Amino acid sequence: MFARVLIVLFVLFTSLNAYQSEKEIQAQVIGKISKFITWQDETKETFVITILKNQFGSAFDDTYKDAKIKGKKVVINYIQDPSQIKECNVLIIPALSSSELKLILEKAKEAKALTISDQKGFAEKSGIVQISFVAQKVKLKINLDSAKDANLQINSSLLQIAEVIKGS
Amino acid sequence: MKKYILTSTLLSSLLLADTLDSDLEDILNMQSELSAEVGSRSGSVGTSSSIVPTDVITHEQIKHSGYTNLSDALRYFVSGYNSPKTSIADGSDHIRIFTLRGMSPDQVLVLVNGKRIHTSALLNVNATIGRGSSGVDLDTIPLVAVEKIEILRDGAAAQYGSDAISGVVNIILKGYGFDSEASLHTGIRDKKDGERVSASAFVSLPQRYDGYTNLTIEASQQQKTQRARKGAYLYPSHAGLPKAKDLKLLLNNETNLENDASIYSNIIFNYRDSEASAFFRPADHNPATTLLYPDGFLPMINAKINDASFTLGIKDKTSSGLNWDLSNTLGYNEIRYYLTNSMNYGYGATSPRSFNLGVLRFLQNSTNLDLKQSFGLFELAGGVEFRYENYEIKSGDEASYTNGISQGFAGYHPDNAQDKSRKNYALYLDALYKPSSDFTLDIATRYEHYNDFGSTLNAKLALGYKASQNLLLRASASTGFRAPSLAQSYYSQTSTFGGLVEGTFRVDDEISRALGSKDLKAEKSRHFTIGAIYSPTSKTSLSIDYFHTKVNDRIMLSNEIGGAGATPAQNAILLAHGVDKARFFTNAVDTHTQGVDLKLTHKEEFANSSSLDSTIWYNYSKNEVISFNNPTQNRANSFEQVDRMEHGQPKEALRILNSYNIDKTTITLNVSRYGKYAQVIEGKQYDFNSKWLCDVDISYAFSKSLDLFVGAHNLFDTYPNEWSGVINNNYGSTGVKPYSRYSPFGYSGAYYYASLAYRF
Repeated sequence: MFARVLIVLFVLFTSLNAYQSEKEIQAQVIGKISKFITWQDETKETFVITILKNQFGSAFDDTYKDAKIKGKKVVINYIQDPSQIKECNVLIIPALSSSELKLILEKAKEAKALTISDQKGFAEKSGIVQISFVAQKVKLKINLDSAKDANLQINSSLLQIAEVIKGS
Repeated sequence: MKKYILTSTLLSSLLLADTLDSDLEDILNMQSELSAEVGSRSGSVGTSSSIVPTDVITHEQIKHSGYTNLSDALRYFVSGYNSPKTSIADGSDHIRIFTLRGMSPDQVLVLVNGKRIHTSALLNVNATIGRGSSGVDLDTIPLVAVEKIEILRDGAAAQYGSDAISGVVNIILKGYGFDSEASLHTGIRDKKDGERVSASAFVSLPQRYDGYTNLTIEASQQQKTQRARKGAYLYPSHAGLPKAKDLKLLLNNETNLENDASIYSNIIFNYRDSEASAFFRPADHNPATTLLYPDGFLPMINAKINDASFTLGIKDKTSSGLNWDLSNTLGYNEIRYYLTNSMNYGYGATSPRSFNLGVLRFLQNSTNLDLKQSFGLFELAGGVEFRYENYEIKSGDEASYTNGISQGFAGYHPDNAQDKSRKNYALYLDALYKPSSDFTLDIATRYEHYNDFGSTLNAKLALGYKASQNLLLRASASTGFRAPSLAQSYYSQTSTFGGLVEGTFRVDDEISRALGSKDLKAEKSRHFTIGAIYSPTSKTSLSIDYFHTKVNDRIMLSNEIGGAGATPAQNAILLAHGVDKARFFTNAVDTHTQGVDLKLTHKEEFANSSSLDSTIWYNYSKNEVISFNNPTQNRANSFEQVDRMEHGQPKEALRILNSYNIDKTTITLNVSRYGKYAQVIEGKQYDFNSKWLCDVDISYAFSKSLDLFVGAHNLFDTYPNEWSGVINNNYGSTGVKPYSRYSPFGYSGAYYYASLAYRF
């Protein structure tokens, strides 16, 4: 009996993830905040997350393999080039130069996507949601004007826990 | 077996689902893994996935320790870190040294925001831990400005250059997004002395694009503690903490430009006014004593210390993905020594009672260009560094060194005055190769040229292999070096007694040369470590790391050569030069350091929303002198010197840290074990037992803005063992100093405190 308990504990322990990295937490946070955002067209059957120049390893695949966002199956698209940006719900953008970022944000607007990045100054440079970590904890910065430009409605409860900025 | 796997998979899925369905605020309260930039050129790496042993102490943890000085805070958290509080040891009373793994204070590199910080101008020349070395004064940095402290427990001279032999301490200052904060702290020792009061303010002003300007000011006052006996004297000397006032200022700034470039800077300033004593001079100390002091006198040594550093840098990323960072760091430390309530016997009744003893200065300027770029599976980093150093000694009042000396601390003679500089440059390359998510290889090499002792080339290889999702195996091997400091090469302090000179002479002094001194060369080291981290759950991590460091040609201050302990030939040389006793720096010995770090961390969250963070950290470090250079020359191989290196610091250390949080209350309990150690007096080793200490801190959050902390350090008022047996007037069971100055936790007893912190 004792041996069985040990085996169960061992298997349970070894099947869980180790300490969560910032990337893993970001992957989870993106799913969570999506619940507080309304897209113009929510009739699609899948929830599409597009990741440009993936910096997250397998964090998104691991997080959303069997999970749903807004009751929809999650599809993760990995792209290398901004020209591959198509209509999606969320566009994850890596740290880029201001000029590159400007181009990509224009494309994201066409794709009607919620843009998210951990790049410094992202929200002030017209990105929609910026995720940063201060003392290991998540801080959100939301550019409300950029969200409106993308026809996205953001629930007030999300805005309450975020730093809200307007304009660029 | 299949049944158990299904069960665990189901439970895992439930937990995952639970994470996704939790409230938004819960997600935002999630804490990411502790990560450190030190030890890797590829950015921040989680401590549980680092291929070299790293530890991180956070501001939040420090806040609940109750400590207001960095040197104390690290002692509280880090096993294998030692920072004794000595007394009656001249300058060493005023600037605390620290060591890792029982090695020397100058065999650890200290960085602030990844940039090398200067050492103190103080060269420890008394019989203390760290004799013959200069270390970084950690207490110049206000704790309220610190975000976290990263500790690399690995040789890293091939990455960072000189000094990174026993490890690297990287102090990360608070950056963007921290609350402004004002705090007050006051406390007192169990024996109703040692009162401490400090006030600090940290103000964070946000700038565009997540830039910031953070300002910190801290003022503190520490009253002395007194644990000395009168001994055979009418009055006691002073043994305990010195009386000290500190003012610390810090500016940390980052301006992020529209075009993505970032300009960063920090200024750190500390002024300290510290007072401690020499040994008491009784009325019969000298026939002249009673001319000014009929009952004898206690000389008081006063150190006024200015310490400053200024870093300015700019960094950016090119369109091709090349990260570049150009920076300059200027550091400066100055110690002005004064002596009061003293006299120079040679001046008789006309002797001054106060003396200006002279000034020590050290300046260091480092200019760095760091480059980094990713190429597929490779991350390449490289850079250049130029460093300029200057060391100065200014002489004191004439009355402090002529016709004898000022009692308690001889002033610096004009012959001791120095103004010496050197330059060095370094080139480094660091390649990180990650062919899969399970395997990481890091290769680093660094070439360095100093215009005084020449060149050195070092390399490091580190490997990490993720044997399973929960188990990381890691190993590293490296060579390293430590450049002789300018102070070691050029320090001298000599006095004249009865027409003969004695003291510490420069390596290139005529008498040193006659006794066989050679220009100092760099200490060379070889290091390897092998270990593993097992993280069975998201809440538990267990690491074990074995380490081994061999250092060749360690630089030490020789014994006093002269008199009965010297050879007839040495005495003849001394006499021919009009010298009574002499000592000088020399590449004296080879040493081995080996041991193990075992660390377990666990976080438990309970159903009532309370949580418990626990860490158990055990360190074993054994230091051995394995060979001597020219032992017949009686340079540094005395029993006392060797014993200090091998047994002067505890071989074992244990920290058991627990922090329990429920609602608005956090209770922190730290149980520490300091292993046994020994000190040699008059050729005999005296052993001091290991001790357990307990620290407790209780905090209550009155609101989101206001916290109250009350607590006790060394709650049960534990003292080190006293000396066993009678030795002499100063040491032993009847001597002035009841305790060994090597005590790793001092000898001032329990400290009770209260603090208020207000965030705005």
